[in-house]
Amino acid sequence: MVVGGGLCAGLLSRQLTAQGIDVLVLERGVDHRGGAEARLPSQRDELRWAQRQGNMQNWQRETYSVRHSRHEESLPVRWMEAFLPGEGVGGAGSHWNGVAWRWSEYDPTLRSRYESRYGKKFVPADMPLQDWGTTYAELEPYHDLFERLFGLSGKAGNISGTIQPGGNPFEAPRRGDYPQAPLEITEAGIIFKAAAETLGLKPFPGPAANSSGDYLNPDGQRLGRCQYCGHCERFICEAHAKGSPDRLLYPMLKTRKGFEIRTRAQVLRIDYDGRAKRASGVRYLDLNSGEEYEQPADVVVLAAFTMTNTRLLLLSGVGAAYDPAARRGVVGKNFCYQTTSGVSVFFRNRWINPFLAAGGTSTVVDEFNNDNFDHAALPFLGGASIDAALSNGRPIRGRRTPPGTPQWGTAWKQAQAEWYAHSFSVSAQGSCYPHRENFLDLDPDYTDAYGQPLLRVTFDFRDNEVKMSRWVTKKVAEICKAMTPDIMGPVAGREGPFDSRQYQTTHVTGGTIMGAEPASSVVSPHLQHWDAENLFVVGASVYPHNSGYNPTGPLAALALRLGDDLARYVARPGKLA
Amino acid sequence: MSRMVDSKKQADRRNFLLQAGLAGVASLAPAEHSGASTAGAAAAASGAAVVGAAAANPGADTYLSLGPDEAAFIEALVNVMCPADELSPSGVDCGLAVYIDRQLAGPYGKGDGRYQRGPFRQGKPQLGLQLPLTPEQFCKAGIAAVDAACVRDRGAPFAALGAAQADAVLVDIAGGRVADERLSLTSWFNDIVYPLFVEACFADPMYGGNRNAVFWKMIGYPGLPANHAIDMVRYRGKPYPGAGSPKSIGDFA
Repeated sequence: MVVGGGLCAGLLSRQLTAQGIDVLVLERGVDHRGGAEARLPSQRDELRWAQRQGNMQNWQRETYSVRHSRHEESLPVRWMEAFLPGEGVGGAGSHWNGVAWRWSEYDPTLRSRYESRYGKKFVPADMPLQDWGTTYAELEPYHDLFERLFGLSGKAGNISGTIQPGGNPFEAPRRGDYPQAPLEITEAGIIFKAAAETLGLKPFPGPAANSSGDYLNPDGQRLGRCQYCGHCERFICEAHAKGSPDRLLYPMLKTRKGFEIRTRAQVLRIDYDGRAKRASGVRYLDLNSGEEYEQPADVVVLAAFTMTNTRLLLLSGVGAAYDPAARRGVVGKNFCYQTTSGVSVFFRNRWINPFLAAGGTSTVVDEFNNDNFDHAALPFLGGASIDAALSNGRPIRGRRTPPGTPQWGTAWKQAQAEWYAHSFSVSAQGSCYPHRENFLDLDPDYTDAYGQPLLRVTFDFRDNEVKMSRWVTKKVAEICKAMTPDIMGPVAGREGPFDSRQYQTTHVTGGTIMGAEPASSVVSPHLQHWDAENLFVVGASVYPHNSGYNPTGPLAALALRLGDDLARYVARPGKLA
Repeated sequence: MSRMVDSKKQADRRNFLLQAGLAGVASLAPAEHSGASTAGAAAAASGAAVVGAAAANPGADTYLSLGPDEAAFIEALVNVMCPADELSPSGVDCGLAVYIDRQLAGPYGKGDGRYQRGPFRQGKPQLGLQLPLTPEQFCKAGIAAVDAACVRDRGAPFAALGAAQADAVLVDIAGGRVADERLSLTSWFNDIVYPLFVEACFADPMYGGNRNAVFWKMIGYPGLPANHAIDMVRYRGKPYPGAGSPKSIGDFA
């Protein structure tokens, strides 16, 4: 029994059903296939799908309350822009941009890495970084499998320890090249690459699940060639050119015996027997009939979005809720977001044509990411990938104007006409490390449409992230200056307070973190709940920190490995080792 | 009011919607709306003030949400924010007022997808709007409040101000310099009106704004179908030929 029909559920169901194990997936949304969101011309509707969030979680039914510190009163965000969970078969994996990194080799052992490099006292006391209890080497075969299943396009930078020219020299070692050649470079990427090279940096094409060619995956599922239409993130790909679970996994799974996905099934809580330390199943509401069902299960897997995984554990009283004052408990701990910033550049005589782009058409440098550079003399940990990430030129949001442009009127229109096709941004996608005071719990006042407490977010950009962002954004500016643009936008790092009205990324992590010790983690290194051996949790909610990369790659690897682990568990129940 | 008149009105609306939505050619405002103005000569000459436009405007009854005074306000506003110039016709002639009206009348205006449960408390702006109002209700309450402030401070409602004065009012509101006892007019403008204005300009023309894809032409966005696999290489770093004749969803429907 799996809660949430997104990427993780699809991947682990693939592993399980291949071994003849029955899987039932409960998904609150609908199947997008054949809908207006998944065909032309209605797919290309920025207002409907992007502005009005037509493929996203419906905030009317369930939102999150937010505050910046536990000493403040929370308020429900009545229309969220900051991050956008999906709804429907495929989950957020159906509306993602397709940027598909492996994280740094040392990410799963990040605390050990910092301590061994800079000393035991280098990690601040209020930063509960912790190792994952697993290693990159253990996950590598699953990264490889995911990349072949989703037909990733990219250029290897490190094949079995040998650095490859043109790829990312900081890449974790991989067994071979990407399944497909990189996407075409954008004009912005060409400008960025030349400037980065003059600074001695090593730019490379970002890894993408937008298919650079026609692709047949190991399961016999096909991807078409990407059309560079600029409607990836927030949209469903009608050309079947974006590696997504609703394309590559669920149609196949539905043909497999023993697989069932039930849509419009809203899981309300886990039925948990605290004495037996077992989950007996889940309660869900059939959103079509209004009937509430008790669904028994031998094994329950939470594979929903970060927020939902955490919320269901809290609603069901499984595990101890995190209490930052008493410094006890684990559920809701280590909630992280992402620390982004960017600088706009304007070139009168270069045709950037931002509408010629795909979700993953990025040209990247990784020198200033995570611990790829020496932090010994710096007042922060972490860093950012820096890229010319031109993913679209959609006209409502995808425009830039030089500083000083008025907000309306003839001069405003002139600036639109002059700069739309001649500008882009260089972005820093920064890490966000855990802070003792950033966490999730249940809101005391506000409820969702089904009468259950909302999840409450207590989050702000803390000192470490603010300092990191200022430093990294200066690096962004150096690259921008080396491009000698006609005009450069303001250079400002990310500062608090966290703003629910501004989209950064949908990369929220933590809340049900993994680790080697029950005292400091919710699930084991095999994603098994410490307080219920037949309950498993998978998703970015298990990350103890967020890295300077998009989160999908390791999440997919963990889900595939979990599928194999669950097959072992079903054969011989017990603590997985 | 007889049923015949009502059904005639509805038929007109349907026809209008068909024209505005699919052909994108219906003009709601008279071609020369400056003539409808009873405001000062300067405002009339600028074409930016449209006092009484709703009353004098034969298409005004096709507004679905806005009442006559509200329509006059929004028409004046979009004409200030998008004056007729060499880049585009006036805001009204670009369909911007129709767009805003349709959005207010539709799911967005009714608060679709917004969390609307109480209690309602005010807090930091970063936590977003916390009003027991739908966007449509907030928009209309703000219109009334701005009009009251304009009458108080400048002796006339917004739609009766000259273009320069109306522009100054909007600058002041956006900058937080116009107070109302019950509403944040800054929030009204920055959270509701301004986003609607930008969408009116740049959303697909089938929604009533961006008439004839005038804003897409202005910036060089080619629109649909956006199957650019070959263009991506052929026009990388070069002017894109299709940018001069953008296609909308309606062109393919």
